[in-house]
Amino acid sequence: MNMAALLRGLRAGRALRGLAGVVAAPAATKPQCSSLSRGFHRATLRLQDDSKSDKPPSSSSTTSHEHYQAHSAEQDTAAAAHEDSTSDPAADQASRLNTSYQDQGGEQGEEYETEEQLQARILTAALEFVPQHGWSMEAIAIGAETLGLSSASTGMFYNGAGDLVLHFLAQCNSQLTDILAEQHNQVQLGQAERKKTADFLRDAVETRLRMLIPYIESWPQAMSILLLPHNIPDSLKHLSTLVDDIWYYAGDRSTDMNWYTKRAALTGIYNTTELVMLQDSSPDFRDTWNFLDNRIQDVVQMATTAKQMQSTGETVVQGFMGAAITLKNLTGLNQRR
Amino acid sequence: MAASMRLLLRRVIRLSHRYNNVTAAGGSARSGCCWGPSTCRCFSDVAGDRSTHFGFETVPETEKAKRVYKVFENVAQKYDTMNDVMSLGIHRLWKDMLLHAMHPQPGARLLDVAGGTGDISFRFLEYVRSQQERQKRRTARSMQTPSSQDISDNYSTEDEDTSQESRAVVCDINKEMLNVGRKRADSMGISAGLSWVVGNAEELPFDDDQFDIYTIAFGIRNVTHIDQALQEALRVLKPGGRFMCLEFSKVTNPVLARIYDAYSFQMIPVLGEVIAGDWKSYQYLVESIRKFPDQEEFKHMIEDAGFYCVKYNNLTSGVVALHSGFKL
Repeated sequence: MNMAALLRGLRAGRALRGLAGVVAAPAATKPQCSSLSRGFHRATLRLQDDSKSDKPPSSSSTTSHEHYQAHSAEQDTAAAAHEDSTSDPAADQASRLNTSYQDQGGEQGEEYETEEQLQARILTAALEFVPQHGWSMEAIAIGAETLGLSSASTGMFYNGAGDLVLHFLAQCNSQLTDILAEQHNQVQLGQAERKKTADFLRDAVETRLRMLIPYIESWPQAMSILLLPHNIPDSLKHLSTLVDDIWYYAGDRSTDMNWYTKRAALTGIYNTTELVMLQDSSPDFRDTWNFLDNRIQDVVQMATTAKQMQSTGETVVQGFMGAAITLKNLTGLNQRR
Repeated sequence: MAASMRLLLRRVIRLSHRYNNVTAAGGSARSGCCWGPSTCRCFSDVAGDRSTHFGFETVPETEKAKRVYKVFENVAQKYDTMNDVMSLGIHRLWKDMLLHAMHPQPGARLLDVAGGTGDISFRFLEYVRSQQERQKRRTARSMQTPSSQDISDNYSTEDEDTSQESRAVVCDINKEMLNVGRKRADSMGISAGLSWVVGNAEELPFDDDQFDIYTIAFGIRNVTHIDQALQEALRVLKPGGRFMCLEFSKVTNPVLARIYDAYSFQMIPVLGEVIAGDWKSYQYLVESIRKFPDQEEFKHMIEDAGFYCVKYNNLTSGVVALHSGFKL
């Protein structure tokens, strides 16, 4: 009986010591593991909103190095504690949940970053190698290697090249939103003049398409990747948010059918201009911008023409009614005898 | 004193029931085993040696490694044949799926622990070679009319390629298995980029940050301290490296589970006796599968060791699970 009590006391003591050691164990990113199973594109989008600042490569590699060192240091203490308290996994779990960690929102000096942030960093680094290797796993592998990670980390990207293209799309869209927001602020502060809708749309689409210029050689490959069935929902979502943002900053606050027609029109303009850009060989893509101007003029013209047609149509109908009544009068059908 | 007598009695009963009604004995032995080691540990903590499971038996931890060694020493010669017979050839598909999930990039270094007869390493080298061929063909096609500059560049890159060769290291605790593997490699003509090392998964004879990919296929359930093996894996992997584990696991479908249990306990030891002349080793095989933690629990163990982005896929509806984690 006393033996059992003594042993129970020993085990409890060991567990407490284990707890104290495990408190320092890294746990911030462990609960995040399950969140990765939710749509990856959503994670990259969220990530783009969180961490807009691009850290320069040298500092990011040093922070990641610190991360590995800190991680390995804590691994040793965790390993030492783990051997002692093998009989208390539940208590370990509780202690890990209790430790409070600050925001995982990608702040500059933070020691731990989430998996999504690391993945975004790898993809951003991989973009540099796309002109040479195309939108492929090789580019991602070389990108990972420049960050000091093994090429095996490409296994994290289950969608492969699709992840890279979607990441690029998300990045471009958020850059565009930033630029439009900046312009909007300037207009609010009165530092710049408000553009006409047609001009605003043209500038916005041109800015967005210019971001494709460094990758224009391989962009057909990227477009074909986006058209794969499992990528279509994500690519459509990016396109629709892009068009929505542009119209929002253009000042559209419509709540009727116009909301849909405007966005449909702009989607058509954007897609066709993108296709024209792919096979444009004029200096600085002059032909593309001319094409863009013409399409926007078409849309504007079509809007006014539609209104004119409606009013013309009404007048024409009234004219016919008048002619019909006159005829009836002439033939005497209207008379009541 | 009374508890140890109780334990001894239980073991005697278990041994006598062993070869009769296997599933029933398995159930009671399993519950006995669950109860046994914890009380054993109570007393053995003071005594200094813990005990663990060896199939449905309970053995001291120091003995488990020796007994596993003996099992594999006995089965080494007929290992590959038995694999084909027992799994009806499906084990090749499982290993192919492991390679497909791995998708190794050229220049990657593989550590195949408990690699034994080298199945994974052979597939790895073949995969990387075919990828390199494809890449060379692609560059050759795009360079139909090379300029003199391109030709000189080609010469310089050819030298770089030799240093980028992928390498596979097969590590196993059992020399017999490695010998069989080496003979296979010689007969298949694979020799470049392959090395054979004797080592214990709990204490790997390699420096830190050496390998891009660490695989352990159907070996980790034989390791005495699985968490130590996982920590060693973390140690020898480079940052960004990937841990991949192929192992038998819990079948998810209840109907299939019953068929699988019946097949495991009725057929496999018989096949072992008929083909390899060894009933006990194959009895150990199927029992050790039942003792291994299930998919979720093993995933938590991998996360505890310090791996991130841990995921698992069930192959053949849970007969085999492929776990993967990254050292970030």
